[in-house]
Amino acid sequence: MGVTTAFGRGTGPLLDAIAGGQSAFGQTARFDTKRCRVGVAAELPGDPKLGIELGAVIEQACSDARLDEADRAGTDLFLALHTDSGEARNLAASDVIGGTPAEVGAVTGLSYPARIYVTACVAASTAIADAATMISSGLAARAIIAAGYLVDADSFWLFDAGRTLAADGQVRPFSAGRQGLLLGDGLAAVVLEDAAACRQRGVTPLARLAGWGRAGDGYHVCQPRPDGSGLARAISAALRRAGIDGSDIGYINANATGTSFADASESAAIGLAFGQQAGSIPVSSTKSLHGHALEASALVEFVVTVLSLRAGLLPVNAGFLGPDPACALDLVLDAARPARCQYALSLNAAFGGANTALIVAAS
Amino acid sequence: MSSQAEPAPGAAIQDPGGLAGIWPDGSAPAGLAQLARAQWPGTRGDELPPVAGFVTSAFSPLVAAVADLCLLDYFGAPPAGQAQGERTAIVLASSTGDLGTSAAVAAAVQAGKRVPPLLFYQSNHNAVAGYIAARWGLYGPVVCTMPGSAAGAGRSATALSLAMSEAAASAALLIEDGDADAALVIAANAYLDGGAEGTAMLIGPASWPLAASRPQTRIPQDSPAPASVH
Repeated sequence: MGVTTAFGRGTGPLLDAIAGGQSAFGQTARFDTKRCRVGVAAELPGDPKLGIELGAVIEQACSDARLDEADRAGTDLFLALHTDSGEARNLAASDVIGGTPAEVGAVTGLSYPARIYVTACVAASTAIADAATMISSGLAARAIIAAGYLVDADSFWLFDAGRTLAADGQVRPFSAGRQGLLLGDGLAAVVLEDAAACRQRGVTPLARLAGWGRAGDGYHVCQPRPDGSGLARAISAALRRAGIDGSDIGYINANATGTSFADASESAAIGLAFGQQAGSIPVSSTKSLHGHALEASALVEFVVTVLSLRAGLLPVNAGFLGPDPACALDLVLDAARPARCQYALSLNAAFGGANTALIVAAS
Repeated sequence: MSSQAEPAPGAAIQDPGGLAGIWPDGSAPAGLAQLARAQWPGTRGDELPPVAGFVTSAFSPLVAAVADLCLLDYFGAPPAGQAQGERTAIVLASSTGDLGTSAAVAAAVQAGKRVPPLLFYQSNHNAVAGYIAARWGLYGPVVCTMPGSAAGAGRSATALSLAMSEAAASAALLIEDGDADAALVIAANAYLDGGAEGTAMLIGPASWPLAASRPQTRIPQDSPAPASVH
């Protein structure tokens, strides 16, 4: 798997950040924020290009999975992308994605993506679930899932206009006094493959996708259902598919963005899905470290979850000021927590009441 | 049109209401039927009904209108029946995406002007899917994609039909996987010159009751309060 965040390129810098617990936020250097309420984001230095950065993480994932040219040629690419701000300035634009998929193809040699996911903050987790469904139903042996977002002026100004950015410059998931989210660069790629096919190629997997679930809220254009029942159904579906009980989950990588009502809704969902056990499962949202990578966020967090399982280290829920009674969870506070667990759950929720749950098992 | 097929449970459907025609390989998944279908523009009324809270771009009103036509045909009036709504997903595919909203945001940023806050709430395709889900009581997964197969198809009927094929195949897989029994499948393209075209289809178990056939091109009379669509 490949990953790039504001901490740097590769899994090493991200794992160091998980261990160290320091967030990557700073004053944005890419564009003017004088008219914005907030000027903070988590960015790579310099002027990274989306197509090139995405190509690099895909190359890394394909290389880790030991996919040769023939393997790659027969493998579907599922991309999760945000609207391209350059294309938005093109009066002759024919779509909102622009040339990024072609640039990825030029870097990697892969064909044009089979599908581009634009399902907001569950785009990449939906791509993983679709790929898993195709593989488990025998329609494909493997798929490459990649996602990328680089903080840009259009989305920054847009989120600022929606008053969703944290005015205090910190993301504080589940915390009293949380003020909102902050955007962050995030790119990731994974190769998902049928376990038997993987064994046959003699490749040792990094982890196993044990279960996945999706459900809708049927509630609102942009707010989650307060009782968390949609996300809870996604969690239950994932547990059922994995054939495990809630007590088997040793860590939850939460979606929590640091937004007041959304974090409370997610806490309610965890309570609904896990009942009495909800308060004893370690939970953190690593958006408090690397920021919100929009359509790429679920894949970055999936990679974080895999890294955490493999390292036996649960990431800190940074920025915590104090408990919120609406978020009564076992949060990983102050520092990363050493813990060996067999199963971890990665949650994501998005506009339109779209919810996903992915269960990762240590291989 | 609603499907007239009523095969034995689990049996392959040869051509349930034309469902096979939208599948890339000409086959149709076993046990699934096209329960209702609608398109925009229809035979009358080219003006998209406004949708409260959605401004500037035709994309979301297009998606909402074609979804309403399809669901009105099947359910008669919102909301959907509880048992069916709980198991119905929304799968939206577009080869254009919401060009109008992204262009409006870009224009504001370029001019150094404040971005209208309403654009934030409609800034991704999920928003209108959430609107439809709330209006009709649909609690299945929400999936929004841009099909790779339609890339480069430009402004053509082919682009829309490729988007529909792709979305329908995606919905069928999602149903087969078990997180939904049915799906409202929408293909919608909206262009910068204001042109808009869409198709919506409800696919679900062939065992679900069939809708009475109704005219499918009427504008819904129970649309939300007017808002500006420029």
